[in-house]
Amino acid sequence: MRVLMLIVTMLLTLGAIDAIAPALAIADPIPAQINNKPRVAITKRSQHSDKIESKDKGMALLFWAFAAATIGGALFVVTRRNLIAAVMGMVGSFLGISAVYMMLYASFLSVIQMLVYAGAIMVLFVFVVMILNRPEDEPVAPTGRAGQAIGGLAIVYLVGRLIFMLMKVQPPNPATAVNAPAPVELPGDIVGTTERVDWGSVKAVGWDLFGPGLFVFEATSILLLIAVVGAIAIARPLHEDQDNQSEPRHTPRDEAAHADAARKVADAEATTGGHA
Amino acid sequence: MSDILFNVGYGHFLVLAALLFLIGTAGVMIRRNALIIVMSVELMLNAANMTLLTFSRMWGDLSGHTFALIVIAVAAAEAAVGLAIVVAVFRGRRNVDVDRLTTLRH
Repeated sequence: MRVLMLIVTMLLTLGAIDAIAPALAIADPIPAQINNKPRVAITKRSQHSDKIESKDKGMALLFWAFAAATIGGALFVVTRRNLIAAVMGMVGSFLGISAVYMMLYASFLSVIQMLVYAGAIMVLFVFVVMILNRPEDEPVAPTGRAGQAIGGLAIVYLVGRLIFMLMKVQPPNPATAVNAPAPVELPGDIVGTTERVDWGSVKAVGWDLFGPGLFVFEATSILLLIAVVGAIAIARPLHEDQDNQSEPRHTPRDEAAHADAARKVADAEATTGGHA
Repeated sequence: MSDILFNVGYGHFLVLAALLFLIGTAGVMIRRNALIIVMSVELMLNAANMTLLTFSRMWGDLSGHTFALIVIAVAAAEAAVGLAIVVAVFRGRRNVDVDRLTTLRH
């Protein structure tokens, strides 16, 4: 609830900035000129297969829809007490982010985002949530009312200034900035020829990744290997329990029953603690 | 107002990324469940990725895409190790409340 109020306050700040924006536009005519120039340019059709053009209002509406999905999902993550609801909000947020990537002409990264985050990482989170399987008693850390007020004011001021600054960001070359980006020239299959591929496609990103970024790519593979080994080493029990060693091998059903009994005991403790 | 609404430019993407980062920061600061904190960190990494892609598009430089791809790989590694730590902590003390997590041993 508190976070929701914070967001409402930020939106009000954005509205206030918008109200004073025309005065600033008059005071500073050069950005206005830059803004007007691409509007002429975007009526041209792009010459390659990227047909997405942002002259229509439909693109803007889509942007707002996906931005709302992104922000709403993120708010779900932060505010929900139910962990599964938080994870589902995160999936929605990642799908919105993936669509926003597509609007930035990062088609390869968009698909990777959907596969890796909304697919793989979220499944991992769901598994861990189901291992934990405990709702929180009090999800939000309590702080003093004065601290909340000061912190909220500081955040609203900071975010207002940040939005004000970021909204004034201008592209370095406004004439080409609104059109779909120019295709990338790459060496073709035959030596001496060149090939034009879409900006942000798998091939273009691959040429950059396996060219200048080759060392980073190999370092990332080593990092992933270390992470896999480390995750297994951390999540494994450090030592077998004393009473388990004397017993014969545990079957999974035994372990499940054991965990179930332990959870029941813990729940009973929680309820009695709540009554007391 | 209609200019801000219908003329979506780079500022919009940057502000969206900033808000996403802000929400992630708020989640790290106010939540007590270690799992939610890991998820909030993922949100912040995604916000950084969105900024990278926006600037990559703005300057017409594909290196930002490579950087974002590397960030995704590092985030996956971080999620794996972070969740392993969460599971190990939960196995030791039956909760993952970071406020009650004051010792390194259990």
